[in-house]
Amino acid sequence: MCRNETRRVMSQELQTLMTYYRPSIHARRANITVKFQDLYGFTVEGNVDDVNVLNEVREKVRQQGRVWWELEARKGANWYLLPGISSISEGIAVSSLKLSFLANVITLKKLIRKGIPPVLRPKVWFSVSGAAKKRSTVPESYYSDLIDAVEGRVTHATRQIDHGLNYVAALLLLVMKTEEDAFWMLAVLLEDVLVTDCYTDNLSGCHVEQRVFKDLLTQKCPRIAAHLEALEFDVSLVATEWFLCLFSKSLPSETTMRVWDVLFNEGAKVLFHVALAIFKMKEEELLLTNQIGDVLSIIQRTIHHLYNPDELLTVAFDKIGSMTTNAITKQRKKQKSVVMAELDQRLRRLNRSKDG
Amino acid sequence: MSYAYLFKYIIIGDTGVGKSCLLLQFTDKRFQPVHDLTIGVEFGARMITIDNKSIKLQIWDTAGQESFRSITRSYYRGAAGALLVYDITRRETFNHLASWLEDARQHANANMTIMLIGNKCDLAHRRAVSTEEGEQFAKENGLIFMEASAKTAQNVEEAFISTAATIYKKIQEGVFDVSNESYGIKVGYGGIPGPSGGRDGSASQAGGCCS
Repeated sequence: MCRNETRRVMSQELQTLMTYYRPSIHARRANITVKFQDLYGFTVEGNVDDVNVLNEVREKVRQQGRVWWELEARKGANWYLLPGISSISEGIAVSSLKLSFLANVITLKKLIRKGIPPVLRPKVWFSVSGAAKKRSTVPESYYSDLIDAVEGRVTHATRQIDHGLNYVAALLLLVMKTEEDAFWMLAVLLEDVLVTDCYTDNLSGCHVEQRVFKDLLTQKCPRIAAHLEALEFDVSLVATEWFLCLFSKSLPSETTMRVWDVLFNEGAKVLFHVALAIFKMKEEELLLTNQIGDVLSIIQRTIHHLYNPDELLTVAFDKIGSMTTNAITKQRKKQKSVVMAELDQRLRRLNRSKDG
Repeated sequence: MSYAYLFKYIIIGDTGVGKSCLLLQFTDKRFQPVHDLTIGVEFGARMITIDNKSIKLQIWDTAGQESFRSITRSYYRGAAGALLVYDITRRETFNHLASWLEDARQHANANMTIMLIGNKCDLAHRRAVSTEEGEQFAKENGLIFMEASAKTAQNVEEAFISTAATIYKKIQEGVFDVSNESYGIKVGYGGIPGPSGGRDGSASQAGGCCS
């Protein structure tokens, strides 16, 4: 056999081998766990595809930065910091606003959904969330006075922020320039942005959100809701942590930041959008499950590898459809009485068993 | 992977007693000295073999903080086994066992097998609860008892597996109706051999299903 012929046969065999091995090479590559640093310097574990996605995200963040600088050049410095420009409260008295201002509100809303450049985050969050306004209502020395007042009285117990709020506080400290700014962000979150009583001792606000979420899933993703119901899978199994840690414990950091960008600008309904999107993205796969364990692993796998924020946010806002804060407020009211009755019942039972 | 049965477990007990560390030691065979606070519930799974049959354990690791207990109760449903954990170096975690049992009685099915675990037995020099007290409490309440250490792995494997063995025995004795999933037992895709087809069924079973 001449040399060329041998090579031809060899290459043919190689091709056959390749088609045989390629899928498994690909599968293995996806399964190789690598350690890498994310955009915030956290060392995380993921697969090779995650690293590639993260590099694309890095580039997108740079591009999005350029969009912001260009707008700033046109609209003037800090145009996005105007008071009242946030989209957090719907039903603003439109008539009292100038059209140009309203245009800016809309531009900013769209812009924020595409992501705030990391360097601008502290300023923009502080403004749109209402933290700046909250701060302006108290004397300049408020925070330092507060620190002085608690000085020496901070014990380990009081310093421990419970129920997942520690994760939230940690990320706020990372993003905000000063401890004081992080404090005001936390204050505005608890007092204005999130549902009330979310982090109280009985977590009643959190229970309310879980019930509202369950209702919304039935409305927005009826097929998934019905399937999960049949498996006796309660969404609170996975969503409790999402709502208490505002996704910071489950999503990759840049994705969490992007969710928070929108959260601070548009309010707590964003959490529902994102939570619904996570289920929606995996609709077909979820419908094939026949036990709770499979549902759990699909959801966990999905959130841990959501390195591309746009993938999530596109579903959250374009595919889920709109929800008004008013409608959510109404549902919360309805669920609150049910939750309170349940909590009360448990308390009475425990007291009875103590007495008995 | 095929299995003959799937058992659902729930791990309960006060915050900081080492529930998540016991789970990690059992599923990953490692110890993590600093562990994040569990929010709500976390999950783990592992296959074990009892009487030549593959059994999948699906383990729900719950948050121990008081405020989460009104959520935790919904996790009891359909659990076949529970690991009730206290810390042998912290007396109060032992004192609270009764209230955990009360929650379990209220929300779990009556046939749930409960294993009482006195964790952190590597810290014998700081012991605040004696082994005898643990034994006594278990005896009074009809629980299985073991002291264990998530750090050294002592008795961890045994605790999870002997709980499963007890559940398995109950199945053999016909305590459960395995077709009723509220007992926390699911029959695997591999199919269970009935009481008659047990012995020789296991080999073909392993090869029969490749999902």
